[in-house]
Amino acid sequence: MKKSLLTVLLSGLIFMGIVACDYSSSTTGTNLPSGTNSTTSVTTLSPVEEEKAIYQLLVDAENLSGMSKWNNIKITSNIDLELPMTYQGVTITYSSRNPEIISDLGIVTQPNECWIESRKQDGVTPVPNLNDDWPVVVDVLMTYQGQERTAKLMFVVAPAEGFTCDKYKG
Amino acid sequence: MKRLIILGEFLIVLLVGFYSSMPVQASANAIVYTDADYHRLHAVIEHVENVLHYGHAYNESTALLPDAINTLTGEPAKWTFPNRAEVPYSDLANQQNFFRTLVALSLVTGDEKYNNEAKASLSEFLDNYQNPNGLMYWGGHRAVNLDTLEVQSTESENGPHELKNMMPYYDLMFEVNEVATVRFIRQLWTAHFRWGTADLNRHGSYSTAYDANVFGQPSIEDVILMDDDGLPIIPADAPGDLPFVNAATDLAYAAYTLSDHTGDPAPKEWANYLMRQYHLASNPDTGMTVYQYKSTLVSKSALECSDPSYTNSGCGDRVARQFRDFGPIAREANVEWKNTQAIYVDNTLMLLEAADKYDIDYYVDWVRGYLEGYLDYAYIRINGENKIIPMFNDGTLTYGYIVPEVGYYGPSNMRLGYVDMPTTYLLPILRTILQTESDEDNRKLWTYFREIVHTFGMGDVGPLGGENPALNLFTAIDDPFALMAMVELYNATGNRQYLDIARTIGNNIVREKFHRGFFVENEIMLYSRLDQPETLALLILDGVIRGIDSADMPYYLADSGYIHGYLLANDGATEDRSYTHTYIYSKTIYDWE
Repeated sequence: MKKSLLTVLLSGLIFMGIVACDYSSSTTGTNLPSGTNSTTSVTTLSPVEEEKAIYQLLVDAENLSGMSKWNNIKITSNIDLELPMTYQGVTITYSSRNPEIISDLGIVTQPNECWIESRKQDGVTPVPNLNDDWPVVVDVLMTYQGQERTAKLMFVVAPAEGFTCDKYKG
Repeated sequence: MKRLIILGEFLIVLLVGFYSSMPVQASANAIVYTDADYHRLHAVIEHVENVLHYGHAYNESTALLPDAINTLTGEPAKWTFPNRAEVPYSDLANQQNFFRTLVALSLVTGDEKYNNEAKASLSEFLDNYQNPNGLMYWGGHRAVNLDTLEVQSTESENGPHELKNMMPYYDLMFEVNEVATVRFIRQLWTAHFRWGTADLNRHGSYSTAYDANVFGQPSIEDVILMDDDGLPIIPADAPGDLPFVNAATDLAYAAYTLSDHTGDPAPKEWANYLMRQYHLASNPDTGMTVYQYKSTLVSKSALECSDPSYTNSGCGDRVARQFRDFGPIAREANVEWKNTQAIYVDNTLMLLEAADKYDIDYYVDWVRGYLEGYLDYAYIRINGENKIIPMFNDGTLTYGYIVPEVGYYGPSNMRLGYVDMPTTYLLPILRTILQTESDEDNRKLWTYFREIVHTFGMGDVGPLGGENPALNLFTAIDDPFALMAMVELYNATGNRQYLDIARTIGNNIVREKFHRGFFVENEIMLYSRLDQPETLALLILDGVIRGIDSADMPYYLADSGYIHGYLLANDGATEDRSYTHTYIYSKTIYDWE
């Protein structure tokens, strides 16, 4: 009798231990791998954890790849912006809203005319050199294992030397 | 046997410990009310009690309360007129979140006194401060003088009626005085809307005669027509009456609540008509929508308008004047860097409320289109912050533009930079998602929502649906809109993480904004505004923790109360024309002598 009671109690303990372990694994916080080693570590995670790890990797790609280094810098020559095309396995593609000024590969061609010819509100009196520099938005798509993140980059490009400014729209 | 008993006791202890360590599963999702929860509620109660105590103490002969209270002295905020008269003011249009707070506080505490306070104040107001034509004495240019209990105008002697995104608590107003409320809503349209032309003026006259059959007017054609390219033609024929969306939002909201209350479909149909004009004026290519669907007719002479600093709308569209360098797209309607809160937050929340309560399902699709277009074209993250790129609604950039001359939108040589995207955008984006049925339709907006939340430092809401988040439960954000968004996500998903982060945000709000017995914008701000949304947000959270159905709680819609008019500038000598937010609510405790 004593032996069978002990067996029941011990069985109960073992059962509870298993349930407790299962509960613990399903409710504890996710340990996200850092973006720098995510390529190897995500493969060991559950699908949900893997999705989150990739999300963090994509965030890191935006913040750490160097794509934003031209913020607040006026571009004054025809250069290759050397935009990063990959980061830790993330593929980065660019789509320029003014491809004739900044190509999808980040090649700058300074325009030969100003951005906006400005005049006073009489529509006649010119205000030269006020709005010569072009703002250019480049849409960014980062992808990793089918997961995507979008971003935008803003560039400011000065027109080429000797540019014209005679297409008033007002 | 003794060993068996010891083992049995050990097992019981283990069992108790085991189940108490897994409260979520063992207690069938019951939420434990914690000391921190009580601490937040206690702060709200203390704030409300102080507002009621000091508000009533100033003038015990009225149930009306001041719009704001000086947290150092307990005195009402005062509007100083150019003649140096200091007037403590009560503008009930600016107290709607406080009424919602009072009703919510009665719900969570079971103490009816707060509800009764709201009703007493509204009752006195509705009984005594309604013009015979039906308009209430409240809004942007009228308030009650708490010294004399007379109506005061801040815009010359006969200031007009003006509501902009104030969305009064009509449910409570109907309960308190149905006749006055119905009369007000009818007159709101009579005084502000021109039935034959669809012109709309944010200003309404207290002289316009009351019309009981106001919504029985014959229907009219849409005023927005399309050009050969399928783009909307913005009529430039408004005789000084500009249909700003912030005024239209209030008209539509009032009409919807009236139809819902009376069962008469006519007000709702006119509200649908009005909202449709904004939709038709939206850019069909980008999806971005408009602040107004008309420009003003030029009624002033060329000589009068030759001075660019003269920005009277009789000189025509003010963007066309100041931004004419951009050509035909430069119209007030198409600006996407100013007043965007009125378009993409306040109007959106009203449309979603109408879609939900009054079964106008297509509003959800409209709103989703507006938000997706705006975020696709204009949302950008700069240095880890959510920002908006200034542009016109066809996508034409204005970022970096330097205005050649002074005008309605600012001084000469002003350079347009990024515009902040505040946390207020969280609610319209989230509510659109929650009211959209198809996952496929939600995918884009959810992705933006996820990015925006993450950038605000709240962690990751996870993939579509938000059922597997990895939130930053130690976030420092102390914002009522973020709090309400997390509560609504908790209601939608049942995931406890959202409740946990909402509690963290609530704790942050109390720590950062509860000072000297009042909720203030931050520790050094002098005035506590009754319209601030923090207390309502905290009570919505408290209600969820107590298991109160969110549908039974007052609903957040706006935080837009203000007074505008002539006053004595802070230099104590010159006359100025300004707003309470810049003249009064910007004062700190260090400005108080």
